[in-house]
Amino acid sequence: MKALYDTAESLKIALAAIKANKSRGVLTTLGIVIGIMAVVTTMTAANGLGNTFRESISALGSDVLYVSRRPWVISGNFFEFRNRKNVELKEAEKLDRYLANAVAINPTTNTNKNVKYRSSTLEAITIIGTTDKHMMVSASVPESGRFLTAFDVQFKRPVCVIGSEIKERLFEHVDPVNKRMKIGRTSYRVIGVMEKQGSAGFFGGPNFDRQIFVPITAFMKSFGGHNRDFSIAVKAPPNIALADFEYEVTGEMRKIRKLRPTEGDDFSINQMNQLVGAYNKVMGVIVIIGLVITGISLFVGGIGVMNIMFVSVTERTREIGIRKAIGARKRAILSQFLFESSAICLIGGGLGLLLAFGVAALISKFLMPASVSLPIVVVAMCVSVLTGVLSGFIPALKASKLNPIDALRYE
Amino acid sequence: MALEIRNVNKTYMMGTEEVRALQDVSVSIKENEYVAIMGPSGSGKSTMMNVLGCLDTPTSGEYHLGGQDVSQMNDDQLADVRNQQIGFVFQTFNLIPRANVFHNVELPLVYGGVRPSEREKMAESAIEKVGLTDRKSHKPTELSGGQRQRVAIARALVNKPSIILADEPTGNLDSTTGEEIMAILDDLHKVGNTIILVTHEKSIAEHAHRIIRLKDGRVESDITTARANGAANGVN
Ligand SMILES: Nc1ncnc2c1ncn2[C@@H]1O[C@H](COP(=O)(O)OP(=O)(O)OP(=O)(O)O)[C@@H](O)[C@H]1O
Ligand SMILES: [Mg+2]
Repeated sequence: MKALYDTAESLKIALAAIKANKSRGVLTTLGIVIGIMAVVTTMTAANGLGNTFRESISALGSDVLYVSRRPWVISGNFFEFRNRKNVELKEAEKLDRYLANAVAINPTTNTNKNVKYRSSTLEAITIIGTTDKHMMVSASVPESGRFLTAFDVQFKRPVCVIGSEIKERLFEHVDPVNKRMKIGRTSYRVIGVMEKQGSAGFFGGPNFDRQIFVPITAFMKSFGGHNRDFSIAVKAPPNIALADFEYEVTGEMRKIRKLRPTEGDDFSINQMNQLVGAYNKVMGVIVIIGLVITGISLFVGGIGVMNIMFVSVTERTREIGIRKAIGARKRAILSQFLFESSAICLIGGGLGLLLAFGVAALISKFLMPASVSLPIVVVAMCVSVLTGVLSGFIPALKASKLNPIDALRYE
Repeated sequence: MALEIRNVNKTYMMGTEEVRALQDVSVSIKENEYVAIMGPSGSGKSTMMNVLGCLDTPTSGEYHLGGQDVSQMNDDQLADVRNQQIGFVFQTFNLIPRANVFHNVELPLVYGGVRPSEREKMAESAIEKVGLTDRKSHKPTELSGGQRQRVAIARALVNKPSIILADEPTGNLDSTTGEEIMAILDDLHKVGNTIILVTHEKSIAEHAHRIIRLKDGRVESDITTARANGAANGVN
């Protein structure tokens, strides 16, 4: 209880002292302001990026394995994968036969083509040959029109489903459904538009809004089926762990390719989590850079606060002498100055936080959804106070150790 | 509360030169005595007061305060003694400039850990005793010298210490204001406090019942005045 009074009193005294030296205190906090702004902005941006990223790759499906020639995320020797043979369409058919428990198996292949509607052209658009099963392995759905049907695939119909960015950039104000457009040199009829996915493009990840889906059969007719590399999406049954299912798929693929036990896999099994892992690595680096900037500004700010606290202690040597003469213990003086430095830093932190809210608003407006969350606010405040305590400690200790009579005599 | 210093020395080192501010001083002061310390400038009066007020520690010698050995105490214990047992009044007032009268007077209670509600009552009654109730929320700079010294006295007595030490309390005041301050000290003596004051002025010293004269850091004379006998008989 007494400690509580002491705390309240120290705080009151500290605030009075800060009020008396407003402009100086505010200037001092600049480093803290920038530091806290950096930490809050970094963490908020990281959160925002994370959400955007997860949302945009959710189209891949968390329970879907992708059998491909190469891993999505290549670490190490790139050339190791170059001589691998393509994944073929007939391998997808075999997998379909052997993997009785898979919910869906969907082969896809892709190429880049220029696409054209009337007089406007978009260059190097990802054209994906796929089947009606796509709807079962992916979370994305058409926003208008419909997706490809088994019928479209069976009869090689020249129809396509376009991503939202294609719609915006190629069709602008026209409803694309039932319009004819050119993909490469072939004419396709638009039957649907996919919902907007949001882009993971700025991590070098796929941009799902810049894609066009066509029946895999029509794809091969238009763009050639010889020597094509496929990717096979295999959706796991709900009652089995993805790792176990991966083991099963690997086994079947090895059988299909007739690999001997001593031979390594000559194909890769990918899944959404690998992208998440790669993303986390990149993000980790960004966050570390942000934290280093934060650390540096807080350090500089802390030194500034320490300096101002030394000045404050020197200026108020007589006051300290008076306080000691009337019975202030060492701890009372120590906590008075610690509170003062913490309060200065907390004010700086508050300003930094306000600025960070502004930056977050700008990011939301122009880049991606980002909002400062409560835990981040709490962390920022704790960091401010900690900086205050650390940078105020030595000056406060000096103040508390002053000899009362020397302090009183100080001119 | 009685205080006693025995064979106290205080030596300052100025470069290689020793300044002996107090030399082998032994003084014993009983409870409720009214003592004036006099002597020429530089004779060690302030040094002795600071030792008595536990603001300064002697180079050697003993100090017993109400049966406690002060020379054995650590900094925090000394702070507590200053807070609880002693009220100090300085020539230069030594008020905290930012704080108003009330907060200045309240401060010893804050460090004494008194509850806020009780604190307010005690501080207000101390301010009333020195007649400054209507100046409660003034800053020290908004007060006259005499008023500032009364604030300092209110602060010295707020914690109800038994000893009031005053180092030239009237040194910065004109004689009328000085007499007003002395009247307050006289009252404090009457209600049982031990009063020790340093002064250069004979008229001020006459308020006391015992006069100790210092010279070159030594006690030159220590006399009990006639007044003391009168006071003991209830005449004032
Ligand atoms: N901090 C110090 N360092 C060195 N010498 C000191 C210090 N304080 C006091 N002295 C010396 O000690 C001696 C006694 O000083 P003190 O202040 O006690 O005198 P005083 O009797 O109070 O004088 P005054 O009437 O002028 O106030 C003086 O010679 C002074 O120079
Ligand atoms: Mg003096």
